[in-house]
Amino acid sequence: MRTYSPFTRAGMLESVAYRANFFCFLIGEIMSCFIMFFVWKAVFMSTDSETFMGFTMEDMVVYLFITFLTGYLTYSDGTYAIATEIRDGSIAMRMIKPCSFDMCFLFQELGNKIINVLCIFAPLVLGVEAYRWIITGACQFDVVHFLLYVVSLVLAYLISFYFNVSYGFMAFYLKNLWGADILKEVIINFLSGATIPLAFMPKALASVLNFLPFSSLSYTPVMIYMGMYSGAEIALRMTMQVFWLCVMILISKVIWNHAVKRLCSQGG
Amino acid sequence: MIYVNDLRKEFKKAIKEPGLKGSIKALFKPNNEIIKAVDGISFHVDKGEMLGFIGPNGAGKSTVIKMLTGILTPTSGTCEINGHIPQENRQKYVKEIGVVFGQRTQLWWDLALRETYSVLKEIYDVPDKEFKQRMAFLNEVLELEDFISSPVRTLSLGQRMRADIAASLLHNPKVLFLDEPTIGLDVVVKDNIRNAIQKINAEEGTTVILTTHDLADIELLCNRIVMIDKGKKVFDGQINDLKREFGQMRDLGFELQSAGDLSKLQYLSDLNLSADDIELKNEGASVSVRFDSNKVSVEDMLSYTLSKVHVKDINLKDADIEEIIRRLYRREVSIDEV
Repeated sequence: MRTYSPFTRAGMLESVAYRANFFCFLIGEIMSCFIMFFVWKAVFMSTDSETFMGFTMEDMVVYLFITFLTGYLTYSDGTYAIATEIRDGSIAMRMIKPCSFDMCFLFQELGNKIINVLCIFAPLVLGVEAYRWIITGACQFDVVHFLLYVVSLVLAYLISFYFNVSYGFMAFYLKNLWGADILKEVIINFLSGATIPLAFMPKALASVLNFLPFSSLSYTPVMIYMGMYSGAEIALRMTMQVFWLCVMILISKVIWNHAVKRLCSQGG
Repeated sequence: MIYVNDLRKEFKKAIKEPGLKGSIKALFKPNNEIIKAVDGISFHVDKGEMLGFIGPNGAGKSTVIKMLTGILTPTSGTCEINGHIPQENRQKYVKEIGVVFGQRTQLWWDLALRETYSVLKEIYDVPDKEFKQRMAFLNEVLELEDFISSPVRTLSLGQRMRADIAASLLHNPKVLFLDEPTIGLDVVVKDNIRNAIQKINAEEGTTVILTTHDLADIELLCNRIVMIDKGKKVFDGQINDLKREFGQMRDLGFELQSAGDLSKLQYLSDLNLSADDIELKNEGASVSVRFDSNKVSVEDMLSYTLSKVHVKDINLKDADIEEIIRRLYRREVSIDEV
């Protein structure tokens, strides 16, 4: 653990190295969140009833912003970072260091995440809760659900990380992963319920998607936060998350062990 | 210390026909060809030795270094360094080596240089006291002080290379691999880096393996060289043996007062040389003569030339490493062990 802690520190320094970039990214993300908010607002205004598929407008706002937050915090740059290093051959520089390849990336990214949590997590949760308080006239914040959400969020991040690492390792075979990376983003956004809540989808499709690893990435923690799951359901969902995490770690190890043997360092 | 035995590495290379049509065809029906980058190389290096690894571009030098450092897995053959096989237990092995690839950097691009060193200190588990001593030593030989607080992306190539070499030495490695450490550097920085390498080798007994295109690096640093070409070893021995064996080719260039004088120079018959020892090229009045200085001394060559013709300008150069290899091939000899 101590070996990797400087990576976290370096990750933190790195994420604030380009300040303008950091703030532009943040503003861009929040803007896209508000765009979704207005889209859904239009949907709710055009229906006659108070609720839409079991969601009130208030639920929808919480869903949108917490999904955004979850997506933001569980986002892993692994695919892009690894693919880039493989493509330009700089992965060689990592292999001459006495540390595990995925751990370096993980701890470096954790540094990044710490900065993100400080800059966006607290203000957004406070904002959402303030909104709920104003709309319903009572404090809706639930400490237990919140803590469970945090645990689920961490699991979701780790799944996302190992999924992205495995995906990034495909660059060993494909050499350039740019196209495949964009395809992945779109598919994940849809399958994880980040674009449309899984509850809005046809029953059959929703139950399949609930079983797939993608729902563990975003839908599970968000539903826990919103208190949509019963105790038993939370236990089941989190077990699923742990299960998928183990699967992803295993896959990444298998791919790494296979790929490293056929590594051909590109560019001299 | 280092034993390399019949090392081979083959790459698959996609063959594309030229143009857009060829690229599209290759997209659907890839056509591969096997390239033998390293084709059965064996050698060994003793502790504390400085070995120069030379050969033309694409000879397979970097591929050998990458296999020795555990980055690439050999297709066949073995290498053993300090009792370790690099591909087995990579993490343990790399703690004992330092690596610099001149064309890449191990420094943290966006961070101050100092931060890279503190990350490395933790990775290699260097105790505080040792780290301070080590930094002081590296600072002295490589003069890092001026730019240690600057972000790495703002460093000049020479500064970056010095910083990279320092990074590879922080944990006091037993073996240091340097892949073209002086590429693209000016004379002063080159000197600086050579001195540092020499000092480290002398003081710590670090074994050094170095690849380069600069013959001066080799002459100043290495007692022994291994030369490879097209993936095969063509020479292994002392640098003086190489010179004696393959002659010291020199280039004499001069500008004639009048181009017609060229016919007055009859090197072959007047100096009693064979066609293999001398080669004359000219472009109008400017002439270049490449000759073997073991067969005819520089002095004789100059005095003969100056006695026959009037020249405006004259210069004398060492032949480069590629010329030695070219010559070696022309003679169609190969020497395995000297």
